[in-house]
Amino acid sequence: MFLRRLYQFMIVYGLGLLMLMGIKALFGLSDYVIPGPGEIWQTARQVFGGYVLDVLNTLQVAILGHILSIAMAFAVGIVGRLTSWMGSMIKTAAFNVQAYPIVAVAPIIFILLGDGFSSRLLIAAMICYFPLLLSILGILSEPVDDIEHFFKMTGRITWRLEVKIRAFQNLHKLTTVIVGSATLAVVGTIVAEFIAASAGIGVSIRRALYQSDLSKILTALFLIGICSSLYLACLEWAGRRLIRRWQAPGP
Amino acid sequence: MSIEYSQRESEAPQVRLLCRDLTYRYPHANHDLFKSLHVDIDGSGFHALFGPSGVGKTTLARLMADKLTGGSGKITTIGMTHILYTYNMERLPGWCSVGDHLHDITPSLRSADMAPLVGTFGIQDCLEAHFSQLSLGQRNRANLVRYLLQEFDLLIMDESLANVDERTRQLIILKLKQMFPTKAFLYISHNVVEVARFCRQILVLRGPRKDPRILDVQGLDCRDRQKPETDQLNRIVLEVMNVS
Repeated sequence: MFLRRLYQFMIVYGLGLLMLMGIKALFGLSDYVIPGPGEIWQTARQVFGGYVLDVLNTLQVAILGHILSIAMAFAVGIVGRLTSWMGSMIKTAAFNVQAYPIVAVAPIIFILLGDGFSSRLLIAAMICYFPLLLSILGILSEPVDDIEHFFKMTGRITWRLEVKIRAFQNLHKLTTVIVGSATLAVVGTIVAEFIAASAGIGVSIRRALYQSDLSKILTALFLIGICSSLYLACLEWAGRRLIRRWQAPGP
Repeated sequence: MSIEYSQRESEAPQVRLLCRDLTYRYPHANHDLFKSLHVDIDGSGFHALFGPSGVGKTTLARLMADKLTGGSGKITTIGMTHILYTYNMERLPGWCSVGDHLHDITPSLRSADMAPLVGTFGIQDCLEAHFSQLSLGQRNRANLVRYLLQEFDLLIMDESLANVDERTRQLIILKLKQMFPTKAFLYISHNVVEVARFCRQILVLRGPRKDPRILDVQGLDCRDRQKPETDQLNRIVLEVMNVS
C-alpha cells in the first residue's frame, strides 16, 4: 500500500516535470523561468535537508489539526445526530458555515493569535473540519433500523450503542472520509504558511516564490507529495486494519 | 390525533390485547389503511395474523407494539407488560459473534433458557460465527432466540421464520408452545397450512374494500408433531382462504 501510493505519486510528479520541460522546449523558455533538469537536481541536493525538516514541521501541524478536527467532528456529530432542536440547529449551522470559504478567515486568526504554531493548527483543523463534520453528521444521523430495532424494543439503546452501531455499519465510509480529509489538513497547513506563518514548507515555498526559484518550489512540491502520500497510506492502512479487526469476513 | 395505549392488571393468569376503533393512515396517503378496526387477541398461545401482502399486517403489528406514531383508537393490554415485535430482516451487530451477543443481551434470570433454545433452534454451530457468516435461515433463528431470551408477554413474530425450512419451523413452534405456555405469540405468516395447524386463533386481515376488515377463524392449535385429520385441516385452510 505504501509503495503503491509512492510510485503513483512518482508517476504523477514525473509526468508533471515532463510537461514543464515540454512547455520549456515548445516555447523556448529560458532557464530562469523553467530551470533544466540538471539545475533542479543541483538545487534539490542543496535544499533537501532543510526542506525535509520544513515538510516534517508542516506534516506535524497537519496531523495534529486533522486529529483535532476528527475529534471535534465526532463530538459535534454525536450531538448533531439527535432529532431534537439541538441536532437541527447544529445541522443547519454546519451546512451554512461550510458554504463559507474558511481560508478567508485565516488573516483574522493570524491577527488574533500571531504567526506561530496555534494559528497554523487552527487553520488546518478548520479547513478539514467542516467537510468531515457534514459526512459524520450524515452517517451518525442515519438510523440502522434492522440492528437498532432489537435494542430499542428491549430498552437497551443508549447513545453510545447507537453511535457504535452507526459507525460500525459505515466503517468504510468513515475511513474514506477521514483519509480524504487528510489532504485538506495538509492543504490547510500549507495555505496558513503561505499567508503569514513563520515555519513550515509553505514558508519555504513563499521565499522561493519571492526569488522566482522554480527548482526550490519543485523540490518542496516533491517532498510535500511524498509526505502526504505516506500519511494517506498510513491512514488507509490503519482503516483497513480496523475494518479487518472489527468486521468478520463474509459468508 | 394519537392512539391511546393503556394497561390493566389481570387477576387470573390471563393475557389479552384489545384494539378498539383503530384508524391509521400513512403520511401523504389518500386513504386510511384501517378505519375503526377492532382486534382481540385473547389468551396465551399462538395467534396468527394472516392476509395478502400489503394489506397492513406489519402496520397493525407495529401499532400493537407502539412502534408507529399517528393514528387513532385505543389499544388496551390486560396482564401484558412487555410486548416485543420482531421481523425477519433484523440483523445482529457485526462486531461480535452470535454467541457473545446472546450472552450480552440475556438477562441473568433467563440464562438457563439459552442452551435449550439454542439447541431447539439448531444454532449451536453458529455461536462462534459472526452474523454476516450465517445463512438466511440461521439469521432468522439467531434473531428469534435473542427475543425469546427477553422478558415478554406477547411476542409479535413478523415472518420471523420466513427463511427457515418447514420441518425446523414446526419444531420451533412446538417447542415454543411447550417452553412458554403462559406467553402469547402473534405469528405473521403467509403459510396458510401452518397457521391453520398450529395457531389457536387466526386473525385474517382483508383488503381495504372488504367489510369487516378483520375476521377471526379458529385454528387447530396442534401441540405435537402428529398430523391432524386432513378434513379438519382442509376445512380451516379453505375457511381462511375464503375470507381473506
